Amino acid sequence: MSSSFNISRNRFDPAIVWMYVLLVLVGLVNIYSASVDVNNLYQFTNNAIALRQVMWISGAIVVILTIAFSNKNLIPYFAYGFYGATMFLNIAVLFVGREVAGAKSWFGFGGVGIQPSEFAKVGVALALAKFLGSYDVEFKGWRNILKSLAIFLTPVLIILAQNDTGSALVFLSFFLVLYRVGMPSYYLIAAVWFVIIAITCIILSAKTIPILYLIYVFILLASLAIYFLRKSRMAIYLTIGLLAVSGGFTYAIGQFYNGILKQYQRDRIEVVLGLKEDKRKTGYNLRQSKIAIGAGGIVGRGYLKGTQTKMGFVPEQHTDFIFCTIGEEWGFIGVTALFILYMALLIRIVNVAEKQQDPFNRIYGYGVACILFTHFTVNIGMTIGFIPVIGIPLPFISFGGSSLWAFTLLLFVFLKIDDRFSK
Amino acid sequence: MTVNQNRKYVFIGIFLFIGLVYWIKAFSLQIINKDYRGIAENNALNKITLYPARSNVYDRNNELLAYNVHIYNLVVFPRNIENLDTTELCEILDIDRPKFAKLMYSAIDHSKVRKHNNEYNKSAVFYERLNKKQLIQMQENLFKFKGFFIEPSSERYYALEGAAHLMGYLTEANENKLAEDIYYRPGDLVGASGLEYQYEEEIRGTKGFKTVWQDRLYRERGLVKSRNALVKPIPGPEFRTTLDYKLQEYGELLLNNKRGSVVAIEPSTGEVLAMVNKPDYNPNILNGTKRSKNYRKLLIDGRRPLFNRAIKGQYPPGSTFKTVMAAIGLQEGIISDSTQFGCAGGYRMGSLRVGCHPHGSPLDLKNSIRISCNAYYCKLYRSLIDHPKFGSVRNGFAKLAEHWKSFGLGEPLGIDLPGEKGGNIPSLNNLDRRHGKSWRSSTIISMSIGQGEILLTPLQIANVACIMANRGFYYTPHLIKGIGATNSTPKKFTTRKNTSVEKKYFDLVVDGMAMVTKPGGTAGRTGVEGIVICGKTGTAQNSHGKDHSLFIAFAPKENPKIAVAAIVENGGYGASWAAPICNLMIEKYLNRTNPIYSTKIPLLEKRMKETIIE
Ligand SMILES: [Zn+2]
Repeated sequence: MSSSFNISRNRFDPAIVWMYVLLVLVGLVNIYSASVDVNNLYQFTNNAIALRQVMWISGAIVVILTIAFSNKNLIPYFAYGFYGATMFLNIAVLFVGREVAGAKSWFGFGGVGIQPSEFAKVGVALALAKFLGSYDVEFKGWRNILKSLAIFLTPVLIILAQNDTGSALVFLSFFLVLYRVGMPSYYLIAAVWFVIIAITCIILSAKTIPILYLIYVFILLASLAIYFLRKSRMAIYLTIGLLAVSGGFTYAIGQFYNGILKQYQRDRIEVVLGLKEDKRKTGYNLRQSKIAIGAGGIVGRGYLKGTQTKMGFVPEQHTDFIFCTIGEEWGFIGVTALFILYMALLIRIVNVAEKQQDPFNRIYGYGVACILFTHFTVNIGMTIGFIPVIGIPLPFISFGGSSLWAFTLLLFVFLKIDDRFSK
Repeated sequence: MTVNQNRKYVFIGIFLFIGLVYWIKAFSLQIINKDYRGIAENNALNKITLYPARSNVYDRNNELLAYNVHIYNLVVFPRNIENLDTTELCEILDIDRPKFAKLMYSAIDHSKVRKHNNEYNKSAVFYERLNKKQLIQMQENLFKFKGFFIEPSSERYYALEGAAHLMGYLTEANENKLAEDIYYRPGDLVGASGLEYQYEEEIRGTKGFKTVWQDRLYRERGLVKSRNALVKPIPGPEFRTTLDYKLQEYGELLLNNKRGSVVAIEPSTGEVLAMVNKPDYNPNILNGTKRSKNYRKLLIDGRRPLFNRAIKGQYPPGSTFKTVMAAIGLQEGIISDSTQFGCAGGYRMGSLRVGCHPHGSPLDLKNSIRISCNAYYCKLYRSLIDHPKFGSVRNGFAKLAEHWKSFGLGEPLGIDLPGEKGGNIPSLNNLDRRHGKSWRSSTIISMSIGQGEILLTPLQIANVACIMANRGFYYTPHLIKGIGATNSTPKKFTTRKNTSVEKKYFDLVVDGMAMVTKPGGTAGRTGVEGIVICGKTGTAQNSHGKDHSLFIAFAPKENPKIAVAAIVENGGYGASWAAPICNLMIEKYLNRTNPIYSTKIPLLEKRMKETIIE
């Protein structure tokens, strides 16, 4: 009751708010361009998609106002509850959801759809902050590690079941959050090691070399380790253990890649790794996307003048491939400005997080930064050909109500709980 | 300070690292690589040729002869077909499955043929000439048929089922044409014969262009905003011919079911009023996708329907040639008005015998034309060639050939149609080769009556009629009357060409010709009451069967308005077919506005139309 009178003490960090507003406006302006009626280029006409985005933005303002007038002390209190609710919705959508582009991840209400997986990010960030925040100590003990992993791997499994691989993989970004709360550095190094193994496996299977060969290499390395490290039993055990895990991981990756992934997914991955000629549609889309960005040059082709996006050469131009429109019409200058804006936002969030007294707030802040960073990396990475084409939105910019509202919620909850201004 | 606070820098480091890597990649895509702008423009800009309408072609009375019809074709881009509902498409087009398969194979085939710039797949016509109902239904349902679209096009139509040889037809520009004229692109139509060929550059118009945005599915998405985005095509100017549509039509009616040609010319100008050929074909079947199939059919047809006999057929002129011989004989002083030659059933000299039909003897010049006496012209011919003033037979013949050439014989006249033949006037060398060097006038006697080596096209025969009508001169026969607003006939068609015979001699020949169509003349039963028709019959022997029936005529005798020549292959006597046809043509032309029907004309007309001569 009392907090509703304390609006003045509940100031939102102005830098982050301004950057948020800028990103949303950049999104709207480019969504308008990406979906403009091509028969009436160069003139402002009614544009159903841009109008709908205005509607989503209005909704986002409602979300912000709701957060502003709510009691911030309730947020940690309801963290697990919110997490549970989003998990429930994501399971429910498997049964009553609508199938869009092969993924059963949407609730349909008349003409609009809501994607609960977007909101699950908020749930996970809250739950993880709540769980890890209550031990503001070293990140130790198998039980705690496993519980942390369970918090963000549960939605991965559920969303994989929705057949929305892209959205599911985003949750792995919470792994980075663990590093901040004390996960030893070698975990990160191991993660990089496993990524290298995974890529090697993919290259091998693309070239139809049996993955078993890689396992033989590990066995050979293990034998060498036994010979050279024979003076230290500990070193032998460690090395052999690591190599054994690597071998197991290799085997698992081989099974996953060749057994579970579908041919089109393998194609996407192999095209990105340059192992396959991009003859298929995947390659076509990627090529058109690169052409769009490349055609922008230094200063861009001018607002509403990007033909690659307007004539439909680039797919999903107002949602996942919105960056193409920015690249094509605003050029290198526009891209640079966007990157600076994003980097500034991420760094600002980390800095604000570090200033928090309450570990809950800090960990939550890192969760926000890691999700935004992952979306940025994957979304833009796919348009420039660094990452397989995975359909996830560019936060605050891509068209869509679910993602805009979820990211707004994610960010403004962080601004709300910011404890620098209240004591 | 909280625990692990320094790890913040690891996070910021990772963020900035990815940001930097992406920024460098953007730099490489947008600044280092210069190709993408061009590729994007290639993707989305398309310069589309706008085809001009070909000239409408009119006759001398502004009747439309050739015109363009707007049609809509269903075009397919085979590579873009997705989930095609074949059943529905078949229903709309009212075709069955086998037909669908046939059309599809053909379209796919065509979409591959037209490759250039390594562009393997192009769109191709799937279904031609959608009717109104099909068009509406297709437009409504087009969104269901990915890869299909409707494309406007135009087709050339000809008002007359005949006149095919004059109008010509269009074909797709072949490789030679593409190589010699950059105006043409593969698939363009170009005049391939007749006037369409002759005046191609004048009547094709000027292509326009538009530069449009084109989306991924090759659909047009509006004009590019630039000053040169739209260059409108300029349609071909109105093209007026000298033809008389009604006369042409009438000639085709009369010559129906026969083989031969009728050519009518206005003597005072050389304007071709009608040029009828049979057998012929309907020019409208050489239109659209059936063109090549129908063309092959016409090509192998033994009746040679594609053959323009009027300018390419070469026939012995037979007795019609006596008019020429008479004029030359008078000019050379071999005969005079009153010179008489006897005839006892023909001309004999040693083993040589040229037969003649029974008639009174001797005959003067006019009656020799009226009766068409062979002996008269054999004697005239020999006296001429053997005349001492020439010194030798060779010189005598050379002089005669010179006269002939002044009548426009032996060389193409130069009509504005492609492929005109010149007939044959033998040179001295030809004669040497054929008869040995020691030939005499008697050796080549058949030429005196228009047989032997001498060959004329129907056009040349008609031109002889013009010369008679003009009493000694002609204008090169032509079909062009004017292009666009100007009535600019090329100068070569308005230059008077004089023969080597003076006018006064023609007056005598014409007097004889006037008697031919009167009772007692060789065509005495074919005359038309109220009109003085000057004519001359011909019956040309030919090695392939029954004699050809020939006739030349003009009327009225004073101030002639029309000269006609007709040849009916294997028609027998000139009087049987060629003469009535010529006279009916004259009657039709002169009495168009004020018909004077004599009782026998409808009967004659009926007989002409209905008789079949194989
Ligand atoms: Zn006689």
